Amino acid sequence: MLNHAEASEKFIEDAERTTWHDETLWFVRSKRDKVSKLLPEWEALREQASQIKDHTLANLGQYLEEFEANAQKNGIIVHWAKDAQEHNEIVHSIISKHGGKALVKSKSMLTEECHLNDFLTKKGVEVVDTDLGERIVQFRNEVPSHIVLPAIHLKKEDVGETFHEFLGTPKGNKDPQFLTEAARQHLRGFFLGANVAITGVNFAVAETGEFVVCTNEGNADMGAHLAKVHIACMGIEKMIPKRKDLGVFLRLLARSATGQLITTYSSHFAKPREGQEMHIVLVDNGRTRQLARDEFRNSLKCIRCAACFNTCPVYRRSGGHSYHQPVAGPIGSILAPNFDKSANVDLPFASTLCGSCSNVCPVKINIHEQLWFWRQDLMKDGLAPLGKSLSMKGMAFVFSNPTIFKMAGYMGRLVMRFAPFIVNNSLNPWFKQREMPDAPKESFQSWYKNRK
Amino acid sequence: MSSRSDIFGAIKALEKREISHPGDFKSYSATKDPVGDFKNSLSIVGAMCIEVENKKKAETRLSEIYPDLQRYTSQDVVANGLDLEAVDVLEIDGMFGVAENGAIWLSDQFLPNRVAPFICQHLVIYVAKSEIVATLHEAYERLDGNYADFGLFLSGPSKTADIEQSLVIGAHGARSLTIILV
Repeated sequence: MLNHAEASEKFIEDAERTTWHDETLWFVRSKRDKVSKLLPEWEALREQASQIKDHTLANLGQYLEEFEANAQKNGIIVHWAKDAQEHNEIVHSIISKHGGKALVKSKSMLTEECHLNDFLTKKGVEVVDTDLGERIVQFRNEVPSHIVLPAIHLKKEDVGETFHEFLGTPKGNKDPQFLTEAARQHLRGFFLGANVAITGVNFAVAETGEFVVCTNEGNADMGAHLAKVHIACMGIEKMIPKRKDLGVFLRLLARSATGQLITTYSSHFAKPREGQEMHIVLVDNGRTRQLARDEFRNSLKCIRCAACFNTCPVYRRSGGHSYHQPVAGPIGSILAPNFDKSANVDLPFASTLCGSCSNVCPVKINIHEQLWFWRQDLMKDGLAPLGKSLSMKGMAFVFSNPTIFKMAGYMGRLVMRFAPFIVNNSLNPWFKQREMPDAPKESFQSWYKNRK
Repeated sequence: MSSRSDIFGAIKALEKREISHPGDFKSYSATKDPVGDFKNSLSIVGAMCIEVENKKKAETRLSEIYPDLQRYTSQDVVANGLDLEAVDVLEIDGMFGVAENGAIWLSDQFLPNRVAPFICQHLVIYVAKSEIVATLHEAYERLDGNYADFGLFLSGPSKTADIEQSLVIGAHGARSLTIILV
């Protein structure tokens, strides 16, 4: 598997596409800025959301119990899964009870995290992703590159090709309107025929035992209201205490995500409809481990709006697939080491620590600080690549010894002036796509001493 | 049951932290003109808005907009949502609207079937001008104690921008939304 830097290098080979990717996501970020500034209480809302989530995480056990009791009272069947494997098995056991061969699924990052599609496909169940972007990447045997805009790494030409291959649309047709209509017709058949629908959960309300699912396309509702069985999958951190808290989060979510006032559909599921079976699977999969860590706990406040993706200078120029994780971007980079430190050791380093992610986060997660905390944690565990730990040790040695520091500076200036090829070569990552600066004639120290 | 007790066990083993709930949010973006703001939001989210004096007057306008399409109202509850697949235009009542985002609260009580507002090709919703609240906070205030089995805020026709960020109206749900303000 390529690490983030290696994968990014491939991504930016196509300079034109990289620029398009960068500018498109920045455009989404600008829309977020515009709508957020229309609300005089924007900052107060962020603070409120942050405090509600802090409070919920501090009392998570109590709220989960309350939610479970109320959901059961509403007639929802509640399941608990400690990890991805158990989650997948629970979902599969429900499906096999109903003899379903095909099911429709709307967007759920949790099911991506658990690799549910792979699991079910191996068991002979066909999963049809119904979010347009997810269906596109599913056809292409890829994974979403962005949690809100799953196919943002693709151009309309790519989608046209894919639809030509899988849906028989005319070759060369790349009109988004036409392609969307083709997908609508194609997916309607699955909606009308599916026995089982899987959805994600945006918010689960302890007070009422209901859960809220937000989409723009209407695909979650088309699936859930037509199928005999509705399975909603959620991480245990999706809990909020009261129904009135929804007002705060629904005002923040779409504005932060895409600059919309609200998603087209914000559906509140409290009870199954007549004759329907409704299940909810509550998944831990490392969340209680993260809850125990003081410096990383509040990563669990995330509401998956992806504002941090859109603003991140590294994400915009490296693409979601470079992060080799279901959740990419800055938030993904602080969640991933919790799942597997050594497999994701590169991700907390895929950042400039500029802090823009923390500034746009609607629930005020200190993302850039946590990236830095993870770097320290991973270095302490000895997981950093050899080159990085050696150069860090070397720098520590040089910086702690003034004589050597002065000598190194002198040598460096000498080398850059008379033998620049020693640093200006492909072995030096700083030289890639950059001109190295001219070496100064003297050090700051000597300039300071000799100034008149 | 064992995973359930594992999860609760892991949470209960954590040190108790006292962090209180901040209380209900007090919005300070009051509106002087809820109907005007609502109409503005509707245009942003891609919905059409028609103002009429009474429901009867809407009839003329609707037959102009949908001259050849069969219209269906929410008089009868439909047991099987699939029966609605052929419906071109569905007319339903909304409980109230939200000025800040053009959303309308719909719930089981107002729908012939839960899938109705999604599966029809075109959707028409009647909302009374006197029933527009400023923000979602007021909206949940209104819903206090009214816990529908299923309910939703619906704002605009279904849409997607998943292909190169080009906005396309009519993804899986209704292709158009007309709000009749009475």
